[in-house]
Amino acid sequence: MLTVENLHAGYGTSEVLVDVSLKVKAGAVVALIGANGAGKTTTMRAISGMVRPNRGRVLLDGRPVQDLDASRIARLGMAHSPEGRKVFGPLTVEDNLLLGAFGRLPRFFGFRARAAADLEGIYALFPRLKERRLQAAGTLSGGEQQMLAIGRALMAKPKVMLLDEPSMGLAPVIVQEVFNTIRRLKEAGITLLLVEQFAKSALEVADYAYVMDRGRIAIEGTPAHLREDERVLAAYLG
Amino acid sequence: MYTLLIIQLAVSGALMGMVYALIAYGFQLTFATSKSINFGQGELVMLSALFSLTLIDRGLPYWLVVPGGMLFGVVLGLFVERAGVRLALEQKSEGWILLTIILGLLGFSAAENIWGRDDRPFPTPISSDPLHFFGIDVTPLELSVAIGVVAVMGLVELFKRKTLLGKAFEAVSADRDAAQLMGISATRTIQLSYGLSGLVAAIAGILVAPITTVGPTMASVLILKAFSVAVVAGLDSGFGVVLIGLFLGALESLTSFYLGSGWREAPGLVLLILALAVRPNGVFGKASIRKV
Repeated sequence: MLTVENLHAGYGTSEVLVDVSLKVKAGAVVALIGANGAGKTTTMRAISGMVRPNRGRVLLDGRPVQDLDASRIARLGMAHSPEGRKVFGPLTVEDNLLLGAFGRLPRFFGFRARAAADLEGIYALFPRLKERRLQAAGTLSGGEQQMLAIGRALMAKPKVMLLDEPSMGLAPVIVQEVFNTIRRLKEAGITLLLVEQFAKSALEVADYAYVMDRGRIAIEGTPAHLREDERVLAAYLG
Repeated sequence: MYTLLIIQLAVSGALMGMVYALIAYGFQLTFATSKSINFGQGELVMLSALFSLTLIDRGLPYWLVVPGGMLFGVVLGLFVERAGVRLALEQKSEGWILLTIILGLLGFSAAENIWGRDDRPFPTPISSDPLHFFGIDVTPLELSVAIGVVAVMGLVELFKRKTLLGKAFEAVSADRDAAQLMGISATRTIQLSYGLSGLVAAIAGILVAPITTVGPTMASVLILKAFSVAVVAGLDSGFGVVLIGLFLGALESLTSFYLGSGWREAPGLVLLILALAVRPNGVFGKASIRKV
C-alpha cells in the first residue's frame, strides 16, 4: 500500500535521511523505532509531503506522490497524525473531526449530514470526544487531544495512516489507552505506519518493524525477529 | 444644545469610522491565513471606487455598479496575492511587505494616469437628506455605510463558521501545516483570503466614495486610519475593529471640531503609537500563549 524507495531528505543543505526504504502492506501495522534524532519524524514528514525529498520515491497504492503538495497527498488517502498532535486549538472538537474529512465532504453546505455516520463511528471509539464535541480542542487534556488527532485522521478514511509519537508527553495510564486504541485500529484493518519511542509496546502491536539509526534503516524484521537481535535488545529494549 | 452638538459630531464620525473598520478587517482576513497583510489595501479601495465610478459614467445603473466594483476588488486582491505575496511566502521571506507597498504604488500611478489627479464626486441613489433621531441628524447615506459594513463582516463571519471551507480557513489560520495534512491547500486558502480581502476593500470604497469623493489620494488617508484601527484592535478580532473604528471615527470628528480640521489625522496616529508602545497585540488581540 505504501512503498518508500531510496528516500533522501533533509532541511536546507543537511541531509537527515539517507537511502531510506520501507514497505507497509495493506492492513499491516508497521513500527518505525529508533533513538531521538534518528530521522523517524523526518521520514514521516517526507512521506506525507511536509518535507520535499531530495531523491527517491514514495508510492501510495502504486502511485508516485513524492513531488505532490502535502494537501494533495492527503486527499489521495494518506492521513498523517503529526508529532505533537497539532489539533486546531481554537476550533471545536467536532470541527476538528469534520476537517479531517475535508477532502471528501462538500465545501459549503450539507457536510454535517454527509459526515454524521462517520462522526458517530469516531464517537463510539472515543466516547470522551462526544462529551466534549462542542469544546475548543485546545482545552482538552493531552490524552484527549491525542484521541482527537487519531479520530481526525480516521475521518479521512485513509488508505494509509501515519501515526507519529502518539504516546509523547502522556501519563503511563494514558499511554496504555493509546496502545489499546492502536490495537483496535489494527483489528479494524487500518494500514498503519507507527513511530514510537516506546519500542517495546510498539513491537507488541506491529506486524513488522524498522529500526532507524542516524538517518538510515539499520535493522528490519518481524517483532519476534527483532526481539532476538542483540543490537535492538541493547539499544532499545533494555 | 451643546451636548447635542457633541453627540452629533461623535455619531457622524463614528459612522465614518465603520469604513476604517472594514478596511482593517481586510487586513485581518489575510493575516489570519498567511501572517501577511497588503500594505496596498488603500489603493485597492481607491482603484475599486474609481473603477465603479467609470461604470457609472458609462451609464450602468447603481445596482450593477456595486457587483461590478466588488468583482474588480476580488480580481485585484487575487492579483496582489499572485504577483506579490506568494513570491515572498514561497521563500518564507518577509518580502511581501515591500512587494505589497510596490504594488500599491503601481496602483497609485496607474490611477493618476487613467483617471487623473482630481477628486471627483461619486453619484449615489442613496439620499443625503438627514433623518432625525432624538435631535441627531443622520443621513441615509451615512447609515448605508454602517449597515453595509456590518452586513459584509457578518456574512464573512457566517461563511467562516458555517461552511466547511470557512472552517478550513480557520484551520489554516490555527495551524497551516496541520491543515495541509487534512488535505486543505494552504496556497488556495491564502488565495481565498486575498480575494475576500479585495472584496471587502472594494465594498469599503463603494460605500465611502459618495461621502468623501474619489481620487488617487483617498488611498493614503484611509489606509493610515485603517492601519491604526487594525493595530489598536489587534489582528484577530473582527468585533474589536468595529469598536475601535467607531471610537476612532468619533474621536477624529471631535478633534477636528475642537482643534481645527488640520488635526483630523492626529488621533489615529497617536492611538497607533500608543498601541504599539503599550499593547502591541492590540486591545482585543490574543496574547500568543503556546503550550509546548
